[in-house]
Amino acid sequence: MTTIAHASPTRKARNFWLKDAAGRCDSVAGLLLLDTLAAIGFAAGVAGGVAAVEGQGTVLPWAMLMLGTGALRGVFASLALRRGAVRAGVVKRTLRLRAVAATLRRKPGDPIDSGLLASQAVDAVEALDGYVARFLPARRAAAIAPMLVLAATACASWVAAVILAATLLPFVAAMILAGGAAADESRRQFIALHRLSARFADRVRSLPIVLAFRAETRETEAIGAGAQELAERTMRVLRVAFLSSAALEFFAALSVALVAVYCGFALLGLLPFAAPETLTLGRAFFVLALAPEYYAPMRRLAAAYHDKQAAETAADTLMPLAQPEPLLSAQVTAPLVLRNVAIKYPGSDAAAVSNLSLRIEAGEMVALLGPSGSGKTSVLHLLLGFAPLSAGTVEACGIPLVSLAGQASWAGQHPLLIAGTIRDNLMLAHPHADDLAIQRAVTAAGLGPMLAARPRGLDAPLDARGSGLSGGERRRLALARALLTPAPFLLLDEPTAHLDDAAEAALIATIARAAKGRTTLIATHSPALAAIATRVVHLEHTA
Amino acid sequence: MTLHRLIAAERRRERRRLRQAGVCAAAIAIASVLLLALSGWFLTAAALAGGAGIVAAQAFNYMLPSAMIRLLAIARTGARYGERLASHGAAFGALARLRPALYRAVTAAPPFIALALGRGEATARLIGDVDAVEWRFVRLSGPWGVAAALVSGAVLTSLGGWLSMVATLACVGGALGLAHAWADQLEQPGRAVQEATGALREEVAAMGGAAAELRCFALEDWATTRIAAVSDRLAEAQAQQAAVAARFEALHAISVALAATSALVLSAGAGAPIAALAALAAAMTADATAPILRAMTERGRLREAEARLETLFAAAEERPAADGACDANLIIDGTSFAPGWRIALTGPSGCGKTTLVEGLLALRPFSPGRVIIGGRDAASLAPATLRATFAWAPQDAALMAGTVRDNLRLADDHAGEDRLWQALRDAALDDVVRALPAGLDTWLGEDGARLSGGERRRLSLARAYLADAPWLLLDEPGEGLDAAVAAQVARRMDARLKRTGQGMILISHRPVLSALCDRQWVADGGTCRSAA
Repeated sequence: MTTIAHASPTRKARNFWLKDAAGRCDSVAGLLLLDTLAAIGFAAGVAGGVAAVEGQGTVLPWAMLMLGTGALRGVFASLALRRGAVRAGVVKRTLRLRAVAATLRRKPGDPIDSGLLASQAVDAVEALDGYVARFLPARRAAAIAPMLVLAATACASWVAAVILAATLLPFVAAMILAGGAAADESRRQFIALHRLSARFADRVRSLPIVLAFRAETRETEAIGAGAQELAERTMRVLRVAFLSSAALEFFAALSVALVAVYCGFALLGLLPFAAPETLTLGRAFFVLALAPEYYAPMRRLAAAYHDKQAAETAADTLMPLAQPEPLLSAQVTAPLVLRNVAIKYPGSDAAAVSNLSLRIEAGEMVALLGPSGSGKTSVLHLLLGFAPLSAGTVEACGIPLVSLAGQASWAGQHPLLIAGTIRDNLMLAHPHADDLAIQRAVTAAGLGPMLAARPRGLDAPLDARGSGLSGGERRRLALARALLTPAPFLLLDEPTAHLDDAAEAALIATIARAAKGRTTLIATHSPALAAIATRVVHLEHTA
Repeated sequence: MTLHRLIAAERRRERRRLRQAGVCAAAIAIASVLLLALSGWFLTAAALAGGAGIVAAQAFNYMLPSAMIRLLAIARTGARYGERLASHGAAFGALARLRPALYRAVTAAPPFIALALGRGEATARLIGDVDAVEWRFVRLSGPWGVAAALVSGAVLTSLGGWLSMVATLACVGGALGLAHAWADQLEQPGRAVQEATGALREEVAAMGGAAAELRCFALEDWATTRIAAVSDRLAEAQAQQAAVAARFEALHAISVALAATSALVLSAGAGAPIAALAALAAAMTADATAPILRAMTERGRLREAEARLETLFAAAEERPAADGACDANLIIDGTSFAPGWRIALTGPSGCGKTTLVEGLLALRPFSPGRVIIGGRDAASLAPATLRATFAWAPQDAALMAGTVRDNLRLADDHAGEDRLWQALRDAALDDVVRALPAGLDTWLGEDGARLSGGERRRLSLARAYLADAPWLLLDEPGEGLDAAVAAQVARRMDARLKRTGQGMILISHRPVLSALCDRQWVADGGTCRSAA
């Protein structure tokens, strides 16, 4: 919700996208129509009851009808709410997984931004909730329900139906005149409010620099001035923005008043023109009790208008989602040959890596050594198809390489941990590993002492943050996971960063043992780790 | 000031508009009840008079009721418009004062609380909480409407006998009481939704951050399945919440039907016109509770939002002002550095260089005795003093959403054009800014999204240049710059430091920048070497 959308797509494209994303939800709209039918029944009950009182008839059956239809209205309205929530859940799930796929299966060169993923897959997707659950069903119902009311009214009094229908014409005209301007103003106001919140969130995120530059007083004043300005501007805007709801309100009230006055005069026989129909009290009362229901669906739609605006803003964030790349898994075999490779990310000044040539034979261990920012990780990403190859070639056994996906093991400085047992974490990548293989991987990765110290050993629980594990233990766990997977390639991304000397030395010995028999590429800044490699490639800043 | 007192003060300040909104809400309720009740009476009475023959019809006073009906229709429209305008006005007025007060509280909270708010879920929750508290002002008129509906409903239904009145009031009162009890049950699913949202955000961030690992092991589908599972848990919690909220809808519909039916049956003895009047009045009285029922479904969320914001206000502490001008002599881990020296802070990555830097800025706690500034232990100095001593270019080159000028002025609010351009020139960014469509006033987007990584870093450097502090504290200012630009930045940095006489503490992997330093400080597990 805190993303400020700048280049917004056209209204048409956005509406098309929203329609496609939300799909159809007829069952909720159907429930809303049933609610209208129950309202017609309720009006009949009231009218019958009043007529019965007047004609000394029995009121009880009519009272039962009133209670029954009233209860039905409750049932339909609450079912509509529940069904809407379920339907929104389904739509949100689909969109969320689309956002996740777009990030995990992104094309080489698309920027890596896990913060953006969270704002897309959580905030923007959640903003569609009200649109799917309430606005869309209300819009479908608003197109049909007034016609149902009109038809029921016409059965009792066609003149009253004509009166109701006639109020709709000036209402539509008023909505076209005021509604367009009001909708624009209201949208502008919604965006302004959204931006104010985004600005507030930004200043909270920027707290380290705001504090370090002692700008807290100034930023506080700026936030106050922004909010004050918005408040003043908004009040001018709202006078227009509320016009469409006032028009709705006016015609809703007017339709009741006109129907009441017409029916009253018709019943008195004092109409200034020849009576076109004969009304009874029952019919007249039915028409009167039903009149407020004519505009009720449109009022429900107006109440959900905010949901539409929120969805439009979210659509601007979600529409640029990239189409996920289809995964190609071709068998890859060493040697890997990189010739004059350059990696330059879109939007960056300098190439992350340039003019790199490298040949990695099967079973060899090559270290990419260099300071942070020299492009070591970019080379690993290139081999996985995450980084763009902007010059040169990468071949595996003479065939252009697309990706090592599925044929390599990975161990990095922040291994992925899930809530579960240590065994679950080890078997992530190779769920069918047997106990013997696990024992072997655990021993090779030097996890033995850590497991021995835990009463439940492999079945000791871990949380997603890996609480209770030292930095070295995490790397060893990642290493054991990598060894358990029978992949011919092993990619290690700064496996010893943030470790003290003793821990690093111990881990290096483990890596040296563990990598045997695999084609290994290590990205590191540590000369000690690079020393165990069969070959070291230096990546340096050019200045 | 606490949030509680702040809200009370806002209610006092906005009392004119809140009262206006309340009066309008009352007018809407009265007009709604009267409009339908009068219409029902008019219709029935007209039918009776019409049935009694032309003389009775002529004698029936139709002018007054029909004029009243039209008047009420117009009055209700006007009142609804006035109510919305006044209540939104009050909410926006409150917003203009609540937000800065909250931000002031956040900046005054201890860094470990304040900086934790800058992370995804926490920021989103904070914004949601602020929204909830502000929008309560829109709903403050709800009780006025219900009270007015109850009074007018009671008066009208009493025409049909006291039983009819009591039944109506009992229906409405019962509905409100039941809703009140249910509102507490909503807090549980509300919390579950919030927890599930947090869990989802964490799962998404973890998987997004491990993209390379996942691709390596071909675990993308597995990751997607896990996110889907957490997403389903959230959907489940939301469905539960909707199920409780749906009860309020049912309660509303049933209370309307029950009130109308009981009023009709119980006032049948008073004649058809009065029975019609009572039935419709009772229905509209029950209907008027809708806004308050809706507000009740939000009550738990509002209460939690207020409690969370209240803890922020409570955590804010009084900060001592900068305690006098600070002599800029530094002693770090026992080694002295005179003002104007250039120190390269080195050591393997992960040995705590950035931690030390953030400690120097009082952004995190600092072990006492490690750094002495002007003869005083840095750990005991006021944050304002430390921050006046160091001009920082952070490792992540964080920028604010705003223009180039906004970002530069963060360091020096009064800097004139010349000073801004000079700083940009010294950071080798002047040509880039000149080429932007609106120059200094170009909107950069969130975290400087419009600029490339290297440009962001140079803007962050220019900002540090603008702060008037004896020491520059530069954390990787050369990251992501190509060789030629890095050399240019180094040359101009050298010239600028000679001109200003400022000292510099530099963390950089780039030889061209670290070559500017004449001292080295190795932060390697606390050991320190100084080399001339």
